[in-house]
Amino acid sequence: MKDKERKIAVEDLLRLKRAERPPAEFWARFESEIRAKQLAAIVVRRPWWDGVPRIFAIASRKHLPLGAAAALALTWVGVHYAEGPSPAMRTAPAGPAESPALAVVPAAAAPAASRAALPMESAEIEAARVVPAPRPVVASSTSHLTKAPESIPAESVSRSPFGDGIAVTLADFRETQPDIAQRDVFGSDREFEASVASDRQPVAEPLARVDPSGDRLERLLAPALPAYSSGAGSALSGERLKQRASDDRLYESMDRYGSGGMSLEFRF
Amino acid sequence: MNASKALEKTLVASPERKLEADADLSVVRQVQGGDVAAFDRLINKYRERVLGIVYNMTSNREDAADLAQDAFIKAFQSIHRFQGQSSFFTWLYRIAVNSTLSHLRKNRLRSFFSLESIREDDPVSRELLDALTDRTGVGRDAFVRELQEKLNDAMQKLSIKHRTVVTLFEIDGLSHQEIAEVMGCSVGTVRSRLHYAKQLLQAELQPYLR
Repeated sequence: MKDKERKIAVEDLLRLKRAERPPAEFWARFESEIRAKQLAAIVVRRPWWDGVPRIFAIASRKHLPLGAAAALALTWVGVHYAEGPSPAMRTAPAGPAESPALAVVPAAAAPAASRAALPMESAEIEAARVVPAPRPVVASSTSHLTKAPESIPAESVSRSPFGDGIAVTLADFRETQPDIAQRDVFGSDREFEASVASDRQPVAEPLARVDPSGDRLERLLAPALPAYSSGAGSALSGERLKQRASDDRLYESMDRYGSGGMSLEFRF
Repeated sequence: MNASKALEKTLVASPERKLEADADLSVVRQVQGGDVAAFDRLINKYRERVLGIVYNMTSNREDAADLAQDAFIKAFQSIHRFQGQSSFFTWLYRIAVNSTLSHLRKNRLRSFFSLESIREDDPVSRELLDALTDRTGVGRDAFVRELQEKLNDAMQKLSIKHRTVVTLFEIDGLSHQEIAEVMGCSVGTVRSRLHYAKQLLQAELQPYLR
């Protein structure tokens, strides 16, 4: 009767849940199953992506030092690239890994006579050894390469005045000494030089192509430069000059009068 | 004096637990050193408690068995990462609770309950059942079954986190601090959840309370 009067709370009812326990035979099965799973866990290798959450967990735990390290690394990279290449790299001599235009220079600077004495195949092998990078457009063949003058840099070879000069020089050379030119000194593409001046598109600066004595130039420059005002187009440009001078005079005379408020100004 | 001790036990882990944690750590070191068989001792020691927590969270004995086994296997696979910063017991509980929470979230819509029977060989439960009913025989069994279902229904009406806190505190007897470690939240959050869950359970189980 005393027990019946006992106060029962939620905690007491929940304590009944502790008494919900499996029978003894359950544990035998549980043990055998867990042993099998344990063996499988030992034998079977875990896939690589099982470690990914662990990496994220480490990164989330140490986000502050990792962020600081990343910021430092970014700063270092930024400063390094902002300064440009190191002084050692800037003063270093040009090696075989340089740009093709620069790599051509040693090959072109080699004595032309010794190159001419070489057979065609050995000259090609040597050129390939000296210039491992792709050749520039000018070096279309070995014989042409050997004919490049010693003192002229490769970048000027691509210009059309230089090509014209070569063509003219070779034409003169063939005319003056045809017996030497008949020999196969310069290789098999002997006709190449003759067509250089006509075929090659000029790559030079556009202003270099301007003919100072052209009519169009004279006409265009006449209003600005009086030296160009003489000649055939001088009549037209003279009229323009007069027109412009009268306009200037009109504007100048208008500027002399100014009004501000109740006053009128005259300037002389 | 007794009240203050009980309160202290409620708030922080008991000294017995600390001794237990030291003993567990030496076993864990053996396993980490390559003695795989030593892990069986840890399984035998904690299997009932781990199964109990998982069972009371899921209310399904088959799922509980699978989840408890998986928790032990995960602990075995990751034991080389255990550094002893918390007790092995807390670490194992955290694995079990997280696995169960993940399982419950996945199967939110699929819930089958299969309950174990209340064993009346336990003196505490027998005394409580005697206090609740004066019936005997079949009538008593039916009453116990009905009470068990009502308890289960009330627990299932709680959210997963509230249910977990109630299970860890009221059924498994963990302190607030240990629950906070297991669930990865603050002690204040644990107390708040516990208070709210008890209010709900009280409302649901009002007919059985005196």
